[in-house]
Amino acid sequence: MGKMTLEELRKLREQKKGEMVQRDSAGKSAQIIIGMGTCGIAAGAKEAFDAFLDELDSHGITDTRITQTGCMGLCFSEPTVEVAVPGMPRVVYGNVDGTIARRIVREHIIGKALVSDHIFDKPAADIIN
Amino acid sequence: MHATICDLITDLVQNSIEAGATETTLTVEERGTELAIVIADNGKGMSAETLERAKDPFWSDGLKHKHRRVGLGLPFLFQTAEATGGTARIESEEGVGTTVEIRLDTANVDLPAFGNFATAATTLMAYGFEGNLEIERSAGAKRYKVGKRGLEEVLGDLEDAGNLSLLKRFFEENEQELAR
Repeated sequence: MGKMTLEELRKLREQKKGEMVQRDSAGKSAQIIIGMGTCGIAAGAKEAFDAFLDELDSHGITDTRITQTGCMGLCFSEPTVEVAVPGMPRVVYGNVDGTIARRIVREHIIGKALVSDHIFDKPAADIIN
Repeated sequence: MHATICDLITDLVQNSIEAGATETTLTVEERGTELAIVIADNGKGMSAETLERAKDPFWSDGLKHKHRRVGLGLPFLFQTAEATGGTARIESEEGVGTTVEIRLDTANVDLPAFGNFATAATTLMAYGFEGNLEIERSAGAKRYKVGKRGLEEVLGDLEDAGNLSLLKRFFEENEQELAR
């Protein structure tokens, strides 16, 4: 393994694209929103990000987007992650370390069941008007 | 302070993105025991007065959260530099942009670990912004350089989980080559 160029990345992308299952249609994809503000970063949001990527990849899931946002006002429960799966309620999870991130992929995104022991959905008092 | 230097870098580059920069460059150079980091953007910039206030952890411009009274990004930077014998300098001009220059001594026992640059770079490239981000990374004589526009041209949607895995692999392989 040596230095990777953009051209090599392009070839890898083409190769991977052939292996990917085509998306059914727009709107059927899951979305994972990771709180990546100062508080999220300090609490380990990037470890959660790595775990989400790895777990999605290991299950061959390609119809998911991972986006980032700033502080959601839940600094006490960082890393926080919002998950939106079509046909299910939007949920904000708190204290999402690598282990919980992997559970969210397996139980929520694949199994369509909420990870109830990590749901946090109420913004901090200094954020809400 | 942040647990790793890469966490600090992530926080500071996010500041550039959130300042509306259309062009940001992040340079991270390892030269012996010196770690030199420069973040330069053409965002909205700050007045001298705002810059001075931004160093106070109990001040925030209130734009992101109206009632919040803390802002820890820049205080973490100065705390890290001061506690480890390094230097941190910010030059900023309203309407022109901001440049942050950091020099750290990797031999200082109090310096946080460098951290995972591949993940930091991946999250920054996929932070969901319109502008461009150029990353220049070097260790000794080895170096690589990549820009967000080039990556988007190759991969397309950088927030797609499959593309993110490829993007992270790109940075991991180039980081491994630097460390070799």
